[in-house]
Amino acid sequence: MEAIEDRGGPAQPLLAVKGLVKHFPLKGGLFGRTQAVVRAVDGLEFDVLKGETLGIVGESGCGKSTTARLLMRLMDPNAGTMIFDGEGVGENEQAGGLTLRDYRRQVQMVFQDSYASLNPRLTIEETIAFAPRIHGLSGEKAVTRARELLAAVGLAPANFALRYPHELSGGQRQRINIARALALRPKLVILDEPVSALDKSVEAQVLNLLVDLKAEFGLTYVFISHDLNVVQYISDRVLVMYLGEVVEMGPVDAIYERAGHPYTRALLDSRPSMDPAFRRTKPPLTGDPPNPVNPPSGCRFRTRCPYAEAVCAERKPLMANLGDGHIVSCHMASAGSGHSKAGRLYEVPPPRAEMVA
Amino acid sequence: MSAVLKPAMTPLVKLRDLNVTFVTRDRTVHAVNGVDLDVMPGEVLCILGESGSGKSVTLRALMKLLPKFARISGSIEVAGKDVTKMNERQLANFRGTDVAMIFQEPMTALDPVFTVGRQIAETVQRHEGASRSAANARALELLELVQIPSAKRRLDAYPHELSGGLRQRAMIAVALACRPKLLLADEPTTALDATVQIQVLLLLRELQERLDMGVIFVTHDLGVAGEIADRVAVMYAGRVVEEGPVAGLMAGPLHPYAQGLLGATVHAGMRGQRLTTIPGAPPTLDVAPTTCAFSPRCQFVRDECLERVPVLRSPEPGRQARCVLVPYGA
Repeated sequence: MEAIEDRGGPAQPLLAVKGLVKHFPLKGGLFGRTQAVVRAVDGLEFDVLKGETLGIVGESGCGKSTTARLLMRLMDPNAGTMIFDGEGVGENEQAGGLTLRDYRRQVQMVFQDSYASLNPRLTIEETIAFAPRIHGLSGEKAVTRARELLAAVGLAPANFALRYPHELSGGQRQRINIARALALRPKLVILDEPVSALDKSVEAQVLNLLVDLKAEFGLTYVFISHDLNVVQYISDRVLVMYLGEVVEMGPVDAIYERAGHPYTRALLDSRPSMDPAFRRTKPPLTGDPPNPVNPPSGCRFRTRCPYAEAVCAERKPLMANLGDGHIVSCHMASAGSGHSKAGRLYEVPPPRAEMVA
Repeated sequence: MSAVLKPAMTPLVKLRDLNVTFVTRDRTVHAVNGVDLDVMPGEVLCILGESGSGKSVTLRALMKLLPKFARISGSIEVAGKDVTKMNERQLANFRGTDVAMIFQEPMTALDPVFTVGRQIAETVQRHEGASRSAANARALELLELVQIPSAKRRLDAYPHELSGGLRQRAMIAVALACRPKLLLADEPTTALDATVQIQVLLLLRELQERLDMGVIFVTHDLGVAGEIADRVAVMYAGRVVEEGPVAGLMAGPLHPYAQGLLGATVHAGMRGQRLTTIPGAPPTLDVAPTTCAFSPRCQFVRDECLERVPVLRSPEPGRQARCVLVPYGA
């Protein structure tokens, strides 16, 4: 298949997200008035560069999946803009904007639940050919493309084209979802926990496939997962979210080797050690993430942070630049913030769980 | 703690030739096909396997929690009692006092219309015949045991008012209410976040040591097994294909399936490398396998793999694997 043309040049971010906000009202009471709002996504700002894989990690309730749905425009944000390759998403076409229909042709999504995201009444071939047909391809051409894509995701078209989703295993269904996402030749694919529901041996197959397809079709990925090992394996850059905000972002090696934010460090330390001789004896963090309905004032992580001081409750930390595009939102990272360890982030011993031999 | 140190003890769990077949009008599934397992008192055994390997069915058989249409054969002995011969009344006493179970999803395991404190106290009243006030006192003790902060206040909380991690702790408290000798855990940390998962694993290990319980912990995650297990049994297509102490198994698995599973588990430092995968998919188990069930996916397959189900071979004491490539020990 033909390569996708590049418009704004390689240096222009494929997707620039600015000040993205999504609050969900909680309604209740006699007249269904809004009682509170869930601050699911609260001022996200990041770029997705051309050809990269941006990993987004965080715990449940941190807004990862809301972010995915906002990026796909499956829901409208309360505030914020998204610029896709130089064009404002959802803005007036005459003003240089991109209509949602055109946007969605270039951005596609793969969901975690491989079964729920397929129409049980359509054959595999019809499922994949559906979107190309909607977007104006003739029926015959759409089917040809569907069969090409089936082969590309490693399922023999002759065996699979006419089968139904319930006849397939989880790994096969996820391959179908990936093929369907690629059917419109998108530039950006948003993968929301695409391997989390799969068994380990199948997870490895699908990850290998994603790496291959990215090279073959020149894709850009946003890869959302709670599995830090998988994110490390597949990402070029990593964004760490906590309660709807970015707490740290940077190249994958910087995040995994020189994590600055106490939350990122704790998250990394929560991974199983994979060596029974070095088991953890103390958990890196206690308690669960707070409720995003009323997040803590100032730094949202302060209630679980071992280094929290008065200033953390008073002011929201600024984004500090650690160089090489590695940014972190912590009072310890910026000099003059008022924190007793201000500007001495790396002097803080990482809250590593003590290990026993 | 380790079974090796206590050779003279009688096993807490003794499973011999366990077979479970689910027969419905549409199809028959041979879920478990001859499982032998021993668990010593105070030992943590992890059953590691992918979906459909029969790990959860084996666990449920130990408590006779399988549906009516399941056909069970073989001998199941827990704490010296023959589970297969128990009637409903005996089972009701056996469950809770000798064996208790915790599940992946605490929201479905706890009753939404009773407070957490009441659910724990009810268990104590039912099994130990304690008075209501004594049971309530015990409930508070248990919530403190599982390290729920401000336990006194949480006694009056309903399950939906607790966070995921606290709910999981509350379910553990219900399970431990009558000091069972054996705790069965069916993927209790799979639905939790990483930072909470490690808290619950450490809690379980601490409680297991303090109460000297035997634990059978079912998981699909090798990393979780590494954090909690003394011994690991790897299941594939309803059989144990490898068994041994956790350190040896994670350092060098014997069975090609266990090797494949270790290779396919993504861990740190694999960036840029191609992940090794196990080609194909597990068998459907419509018929019980009569050969090595892994042979269609195995790169080392030989003629003898297809003649019969390989026997367990033990190359060194305490380790065994069901593969013709593994040497017999001296």
